[in-house]
Amino acid sequence: RRELPDGGVRPNAAQFKQLVVTALRELHGEVGAALPVDVLTYEEKTLSAILRVISSGLVKLWSALTLLGFYQNRRCAFRVLQTSPFLLALSGNSRELVL
Amino acid sequence: RYVLCEVVSEDPRCRQCIEDRALGLAVRDAIARVHGDYGLACCSISFTVKYLNAYTGTVLLRCRKDSYRLLCSALPFVRYLESRAQRYPCFLNTLHVGGTIRTCQKFLIQYNRTQLLRLLQNCKNEEERQCIQKSLLSCSLTEEQSQSGDEEEDDGTE
Repeated sequence: RRELPDGGVRPNAAQFKQLVVTALRELHGEVGAALPVDVLTYEEKTLSAILRVISSGLVKLWSALTLLGFYQNRRCAFRVLQTSPFLLALSGNSRELVL
Repeated sequence: RYVLCEVVSEDPRCRQCIEDRALGLAVRDAIARVHGDYGLACCSISFTVKYLNAYTGTVLLRCRKDSYRLLCSALPFVRYLESRAQRYPCFLNTLHVGGTIRTCQKFLIQYNRTQLLRLLQNCKNEEERQCIQKSLLSCSLTEEQSQSGDEEEDDGTE
């Protein structure tokens, strides 16, 4: 799950995917841009999304997103909230589970 | 790791303008395109063009052991050499990857020998054949300098 704080224009789902692919291309070149990344869900209100990537590409994706600083000449930052190999685990934060 | 490649080009003027800086820039540019900033930084740590032979188009590149795969995968993306504001289309053939310069040199000597034989077979007329045979026989191996004698064998053709 990723959260993206921003100052102005909100990207839609396609622009978000374009942003991710651009970040990969800057850091890892054509090989990185060819990494199959899927945007599973995207909420424009909170600017958060769930991305899916092959496990060997996690390091490349995470590093590319961390180093992406600008979106349409505005500063922005990606915050990775949670990563897990199972989709179900992303629905709740198990550390804050109240039993 | 040392990567031995050969520059193949249809344009005969390209051979004269092969120089180490132009080639280094072209290879780095290809790595940047294919592997991005990370790949460029990774491979450029100790990347140099060690040896260049403009007559045969042989190039020896040097890079780190950890990133030689990035370099090798980016070599097919070198499409042109640029020097003195002119672009020459060419491509690089990878001949051999070795750990030391000595192994690459041994391979190069063997390769040049087989190339000479192949060139001799491809000669169209008898005159060229005589010419090549004469120049080959005139390269002599002296006893104390057998290495330079082998290299003379490389330059004897073209």
